[in-house]
Amino acid sequence: MSLRWSDLWRDVAQTALRLVPWPTEPGLRSVGDPGPESPVVVTGNYDLTVRRLVRALRGVDAWIVVAASGGINVWCAASGGHLTTHQVVAALKTCGVEERVRHRRAVLPQLAATGVIGRDVSRRCGWKVRFGPARADDLPEYFANRDQKTDAMRRVRFGVVERLEMACTWAAPTAFLLAAAAAPFRPGWSIPLAGGATALSVALFLGYDRIPAPRRTLFAAGAAILAAVCVTLAGGGAPALATGVAAGLVLAAVLTYDYSGTTPIEGGSHFEERRWRIVLDPERCDGVFSCWEVCPEACFEKRQDPRRVEIAYHERCVRCGACVVQCPKDALSFNDADGRRIEPDVIRRFKLNLLGKRVVASPQGKQGQEEAGTR
Amino acid sequence: MSSLALMRWLESAPDRYDAGMRLLTLGRLSRVHRAAAEAACAEPGARVLEIGCGTGALTERLVRAGARVTALDHSAEMLERARTRLGERAAGVEWLERSASEIDALPDASYDVAVASLCLSDMGASERAFVLRALAAVVRPGGAVVIADEVVPNGGLRRAVHALVRVPQAALGWLLAGAVSSPLRDPAAELRQAGLRVQSERRWLGGTLALVVAEVPA
Repeated sequence: MSLRWSDLWRDVAQTALRLVPWPTEPGLRSVGDPGPESPVVVTGNYDLTVRRLVRALRGVDAWIVVAASGGINVWCAASGGHLTTHQVVAALKTCGVEERVRHRRAVLPQLAATGVIGRDVSRRCGWKVRFGPARADDLPEYFANRDQKTDAMRRVRFGVVERLEMACTWAAPTAFLLAAAAAPFRPGWSIPLAGGATALSVALFLGYDRIPAPRRTLFAAGAAILAAVCVTLAGGGAPALATGVAAGLVLAAVLTYDYSGTTPIEGGSHFEERRWRIVLDPERCDGVFSCWEVCPEACFEKRQDPRRVEIAYHERCVRCGACVVQCPKDALSFNDADGRRIEPDVIRRFKLNLLGKRVVASPQGKQGQEEAGTR
Repeated sequence: MSSLALMRWLESAPDRYDAGMRLLTLGRLSRVHRAAAEAACAEPGARVLEIGCGTGALTERLVRAGARVTALDHSAEMLERARTRLGERAAGVEWLERSASEIDALPDASYDVAVASLCLSDMGASERAFVLRALAAVVRPGGAVVIADEVVPNGGLRRAVHALVRVPQAALGWLLAGAVSSPLRDPAAELRQAGLRVQSERRWLGGTLALVVAEVPA
C-alpha cells in the first residue's frame, strides 16, 4: 500500500487539529471504475473522513457523495446539526449522481443516524437510504456481505489507535498554547510544559475511563495536593507554594473534565442530560428494528413473539439519540432525571447539539412550552 | 467543572451569529444588506424569495421595504431566531424549513425577485450551480436574482492579502459564528452560467463582500 506524502502530512495535521473543521469540496467522487449499478456511499465534507473513505474503498467500484457538513466529521456533524436530512438531500439531488446511476439506493454512515432521518430522505428526494457500518473500513466487507452488517460493524470501537488519536488531538493544541504562553516569561519552561501536556493527554486517553467517576475525583484531589507539595519542596517559599497550588488546581481540573464529546465512552457528568435515560414504550414498538440497526453501542436486542425490541444493555447507552431519531413509531424517548418524557421530535429537531439546547427545549426548560408549538 | 466547554461554545453559535458576522465584516454586512434590499424591492409589494435566511437580518429589511417574503432555511433553529427578530412582522412572512436545493419544487416564475445572503458560500460548486438554475426558474422572466456573499477579491495584491488572512479569518469565523464558508471566486460568472444576465456588481471590505444583481431573461 502506498501512502502519498501529501496524504501523510494532512493526516498528521488533521489529527493534531481535529477539534477544528477542515472542509473539502462537497460533490461527487468516484473510487475504482463505478458504473450505473455501483453502490453510492454518502459522507460529510471533513477532509480526513473523505480521504479515509477513499482509502477504505480501495478495490471497490463505488460513487462517493460528499455532503456539505461544515467540514466536520460525520458523528459530530450529525449530532451537532451540520449533517442532517437537508444536507443529504441537497447532496444527492445536486451532485450529479442521479445522472450516473440507474438505482436510487445510498449507504449512509451509521453514525449519521443522530442527524439524518432516513425515511425523510426518501420522501424528499426519492433516494432509499440505509445506514451502513459505523466505520468506513468495514464497507468492503459490508458490500461483499450483500449490504448486511455484522454485530461488530454496528459498534463503535475505541481501541488503542483511536485513543492515541484523541490524545494527539488534545495534546497538540494544549502543548502549543502552554509552550507559547511560557516562552516570553520562562523560556526554559516551554519544553517541559509541552512535554507534560502531551504525557498527560496520552495517560488520560489510555486510561481515564478505566477509573470510575467518584474515584477519579479523589484521584484528582490527591494529584493536586501531590503537585503542590512537590513544587513547594523543590523551591521553598511562598512563590513555590503558589505555583504548586496553581499546578495542582490545573491538574485536578484536567483529571475531572468529562471527555465524553471526544470519546465514544461516557464518564460521569454533571450534565443534566447525561442523567437522561432511554425508555421504550413496548406498545408502540412493532419491530421495525431501526434502533437496533443504528445503535453504536449495541444496547438493543431483537425479540420475536411479539416482534419487538428490548433495551437489553442500558448501561452501555451514551445518549447519542440515534435510536430516538430513527424510530418511525416514536416508541423510544428519553426520560429526564425526574422521569419526565422528552418528546422524540425535540431530539430530532435539536439533535445532540443540544448538549444544552435540548435541555432548554425539554418540558422543564424555559422555552419548552413555546418551542413545542413552533414549526 | 462542567464538561465540553468547547462544544457548548460552538453549539451556541446561532446566538452569536449576528454579532460574529458584524465583527468579521467590520459592520459592512448591514450596508450590503441595505443595498440588497433596495435592489430587491424596487417595486412595492414585490414577491421575494429569500433562500438561507439565517437569523433574518436581510428578511427584516425586505419586509420593512414592503416586500411579500417567502424565507427558507434548512435550520429550524435559525428560522426560530429569524421569527423572533421580526416579532409581529413575522406573521406576514411565509417561513419554510427547507434547504435551497429543494426550491425546484416551487412553481416556476412565481416570484419577482430571489435573494441569497451568505448562503451560496456554504455550498459546494455543484450545489451552487443547481440552486442558481433553480432560482432562475422560480423567478419570472424580467425578475431579478440578488446575491450578497463573501468573495475572493480581484487583483494580485488584494488576493495575496486575502490568502494570508484567510486561515485566521476562517478560524475566527468558526469560533465566533460557527460559520464554515468558502468565499466565491466569481459569483457573476456563476450567475451567467445559470443563464442569468448580470446587471451590476458592487464590492465592499477590500473587495471581499459582493452584491451581484442579475436579471432573468425574458
